[in-house]
Amino acid sequence: MAEIKVQNLVKTFGDFTAVDNVSLTIADQEFVVLLGPSGCGKTTLLRAIAGLGMPDSGVITIGGRDVTYLPPRERQISMVFQSYAIFPHMKVYDNIAFGLKMTGVDAKETDRRVREAAELLHIENLLDRFPNKMSGGQRQRVALARGIAMQAEVILMDEPLSNLDALLRLEMRAELKRLLSNIKATTIYVTHDQIEALSMGDRIAVMQSGVIQQCDVPTKVYDMPENFFVGSFIGNPPMNFFSSQIVKDNGSVAAQVGDFKFAPHPVMAKLLDKYEGDTMTMGIRAENMETLNQPADDALRVKVLVVEPLGAQNLLTIKIGDDTVKVSTHPDLAVRADDDVWLRFPSDKIRWIDRESQKVIYPS
Amino acid sequence: MVQGLILAIYDDEANLALLEEADLDAPTADLIAQSASIDILGRQGNLVPEEELEEGNLLTEVWFRIEAPDVDGNQVDGWASESRIRVREEAEDGTPIMGTVRRRLGSNADPLTSVFSEPNEKSEVVGQLEARTEVQIQDLATLEVWFLVSGEHEGQAVEGWAPSRFIQIFEDEVTGRVDRGNTGEFTTEFIEKMVNDRFFWPAVRSTAILMLIIIPTQFVLAIVMALVIQAQLRFNSFILYIFAIPLGVSDLAVGILWFAIFTQNGLLNSFLQTVGAIDTPSAWLTADSRNWILVAIWLAEVWRATSIVMVIVVSGLQAISNEVLEAAEVFGANLWQRLRYVILPLLRPSLQVALILRTILAFQVFAVVIALSGGDVVTVLANESYRQYFELRNTNVAAAYAFFILILSMFTSVIYLRAVRTQEEVAA
Repeated sequence: MAEIKVQNLVKTFGDFTAVDNVSLTIADQEFVVLLGPSGCGKTTLLRAIAGLGMPDSGVITIGGRDVTYLPPRERQISMVFQSYAIFPHMKVYDNIAFGLKMTGVDAKETDRRVREAAELLHIENLLDRFPNKMSGGQRQRVALARGIAMQAEVILMDEPLSNLDALLRLEMRAELKRLLSNIKATTIYVTHDQIEALSMGDRIAVMQSGVIQQCDVPTKVYDMPENFFVGSFIGNPPMNFFSSQIVKDNGSVAAQVGDFKFAPHPVMAKLLDKYEGDTMTMGIRAENMETLNQPADDALRVKVLVVEPLGAQNLLTIKIGDDTVKVSTHPDLAVRADDDVWLRFPSDKIRWIDRESQKVIYPS
Repeated sequence: MVQGLILAIYDDEANLALLEEADLDAPTADLIAQSASIDILGRQGNLVPEEELEEGNLLTEVWFRIEAPDVDGNQVDGWASESRIRVREEAEDGTPIMGTVRRRLGSNADPLTSVFSEPNEKSEVVGQLEARTEVQIQDLATLEVWFLVSGEHEGQAVEGWAPSRFIQIFEDEVTGRVDRGNTGEFTTEFIEKMVNDRFFWPAVRSTAILMLIIIPTQFVLAIVMALVIQAQLRFNSFILYIFAIPLGVSDLAVGILWFAIFTQNGLLNSFLQTVGAIDTPSAWLTADSRNWILVAIWLAEVWRATSIVMVIVVSGLQAISNEVLEAAEVFGANLWQRLRYVILPLLRPSLQVALILRTILAFQVFAVVIALSGGDVVTVLANESYRQYFELRNTNVAAAYAFFILILSMFTSVIYLRAVRTQEEVAA
């Protein structure tokens, strides 16, 4: 059992607070991705869990054991580094065997585990070679094999795929997911690539400014962002945001965008009642809007600025007020730039954001 | 370097070339070894360039160009040896201008004196002068005497002409020895002299002992110092500054400094007396305390030259990626294991450079030794080279020492380069 618990962790570098009072619990054998832009504190958090940078305050426990101030080697963890951190003076075999040798695993068992790990990553033929003349992908495999051979209950991965070229990254992503689901370790995986996060993680912890903004399963993080930042960070294109006025229309709550009025989802209407007369930010994903090429009463008329055919979909760029909005449409819908189209907003797909707190409002 | 090597193993004055005729262009008849005994069979003057007259050991004779009536009453103009003319009149600056022909002594000597077309007895005779003929001296020439000598070389009788500068004539004027040669040959003489010198083995031993105690100490200290610097402690730049001080001090100054510490009334004795460890000053640096001198040299050299090793090690450490070190830590290596399995192997190239540098410099250790031992009680190879050159004026043996140091340096460098080769190189 290796549940990882981070409680109220703070880590500062001089005046800069890299990790700001973060609490996070990762269940045994869970795969959690720390996702965020550069400088959001995700790597600092991972390193604190690894023991490569002592926190200012807070507690880290692994499997119930307080490891906050233990050196890395006493934490029984394994790690894959961004730059692979392969020992350049050792053959691949010795690289993979390093951790086992250091922790006193006997030679026979070491050999067995090294070969097993090498097999899992298809690098059996590289065991006798030095890493200096190997490709990035091969080094990456060596680093992963070294991480796996330890058979630690916790594996920490610091942007393990970010130094690979795009095609290789795609291939490794699937392979890594398969691998990690087989070895049943508690995994923390740091990345700034949201596709990686969405496709691999059991849960995603989205970080910004040293704070975890949302930690949930990928679909939830994608579909129901906790706040403006998460919505704007996740997804390609990210969630669209534009202003909308909350008004009363015939006694019931309505949202008004320009001249167009529509009713919010009945569950939301109650919550939006208190915002009457205020401006709210409305968020909706590009693929959740219905695009019509003829007028409809329940649709907003907009002018298409750009059409980008992407094969499986066409991406339209339009303007609503001052906000640029991306809409994805079916390729069969014939639209050209400067055409008028009508957008319908399915009320259950709209996320309402409080302007002050930047939080998305959900019914409790 | 090549010249030094030649000095050490090539005796360029080993043999004298004996020429078939008394002429520099004449072919060589035979060789005769330096310092061989010879008989003088004949002599002859030869014109030499004026600058060569300055050379030592040159035997010369002067010839006059004279004008005088010969036995037949003809006016002749030619050359005669100074030994045939008595100078009667000289110009104000001492140049002879007039003289008379000497008379020949001895009953069966030719009473006439020959006049030659050139200042050379082999040239054409232009006339014969009677004794006491008055002659006008027009000019004079200085000739180097050449000797026709005979002797023995490698069991063979040899004979030929040689210029006086290479020959030493004994008082009897018919025997002599070859003073120096003008033809060289390879020789182990100087190397033998070096090896048989009474200071050679002590110098080898001290140099070796000093290397064996200095270099390992320096490397351990330098690596520790470099790790301290690398750890980025609070007063890092201050520590670095302290470590780097010896880099700025010349080695002789270091020797004098440590001499001041170890001398009879030096800092060490004062300190020991003050804390009451000893009652009377102890003499550390005397002929009877050879080992203490070695300890003093060891301390001085370690203090002086460890920081240069440290600088190299620090630069090597900085080349090691931080993530690699962290990986070692994460994968369970403790400090010693990290040092043993990761840091030291990755430092290999730096250590190799430092080791070669330090070993070569250790073979050359000199100033500190001179300062602390005066160069007698404890001597080292470089000191012996110095002694041979400046005190004993034996350039060749000094060169042999220098050459010996060079050979040792090259030899150890090659050994290191092979021994400290990285595994990749071995694999490749």
